[in-house]
Amino acid sequence: MTGAPSGPGGRDSQDVDALITDRYLDSILAAHGRGADTGPVPADVQPAFPIRLAADRLARDLPRLHPSFRFEETLAGKLSQAAARMRLPVATGGEPVSLPIPGLGAPSPVAAGRSDVLVRLRLDGPIEVGRPLLIGGAITSAAISLAGAAYVAWRIRHPQASPMVRAARAVARTRLT
Amino acid sequence: MARPALWRVGRPEEGEPRLAHLDRDRRLVEAAQADPARFEALYRKYLAQVYSFAYYELRDHHEAEDATERTFLSALANLGRFEERARPADGAGASTFRVWLFQIARNAVAQRRRSRRRHPEAPLEAAFNVADPFDMELAAVRRDETGAAARALARLPGDRRRALILRFVDEMTTREIAGILGRSEGAVRVLIHRALRSVARELDDTQR
Repeated sequence: MTGAPSGPGGRDSQDVDALITDRYLDSILAAHGRGADTGPVPADVQPAFPIRLAADRLARDLPRLHPSFRFEETLAGKLSQAAARMRLPVATGGEPVSLPIPGLGAPSPVAAGRSDVLVRLRLDGPIEVGRPLLIGGAITSAAISLAGAAYVAWRIRHPQASPMVRAARAVARTRLT
Repeated sequence: MARPALWRVGRPEEGEPRLAHLDRDRRLVEAAQADPARFEALYRKYLAQVYSFAYYELRDHHEAEDATERTFLSALANLGRFEERARPADGAGASTFRVWLFQIARNAVAQRRRSRRRHPEAPLEAAFNVADPFDMELAAVRRDETGAAARALARLPGDRRRALILRFVDEMTTREIAGILGRSEGAVRVLIHRALRSVARELDDTQR
């Protein structure tokens, strides 16, 4: 199907075309969500060819973006402080106390200045293959596992005595400041 | 506090319908409303989506960060006023919290735009060519097709552009986008259809 024929008023036909386009987008975005190619799409949800082409291009080519991890951790800190102020009983007139947000105690690799870490993430859901994700200015082309990221964070927190490890930690501290 | 939103689910032949909450973020939202420190889970979950939306809208790394920061600080401050409004028609993955959050993001972006108009820096159309570190790296690795798609998107007027960003980058449903843009679902469908027609023309011209 290449679009509904124009009705007498034109408006109905446009609504039908828009509905077909919407169903087509549902199908291709769902396929992207599964990390799959679009695959065959039923004829009744295929919009006109130019629309299909444009939709496929946008779905494939528009990268998702992630802010720098330094920004992420900085804002997490601000939110933590704001949350702490919200929790303070006003009547006590006490000074705001910074309360740790669960999970923020341990620096992530990026909090340690690893803004160049290459990862590939699905924003909300399973890990996706398909289009690039830009992280704080760097395009990603490879993937590391979350376990790897956790290991880096653990390694930073658990120093060994070797000079190389001490040097790595010193660099990480410098990048944090 | 969030208004409890309970809906009957299940088919009649399955016996008594169950009552269920439909908003997929309900538990996270309730936890954050009870203890603001637990807002972090929602923050981590939606940070990249909000930032993506802001960046595509503002085409500037720093402004996008600023809008993102305002969005989350404002969401945290106003979380007590958030009301869950998920309905059965919203589908299983509905998040009215996400719609609410993006309404805040939309306002934050609009605020940055107003500020930019008062203090103009660079034309929006040229933003993808601005020589900031982000764009230099982006340009170095981006395929021509990606640049063409992004430019076609950037040339679209207001809500058409926003609708495509929310649909393609943030992968929202038409219903969610309708909630964010304050339009009917049918109107958003037509908006997206027309926007895609414009993008198709633009891409066609680029290839010639």
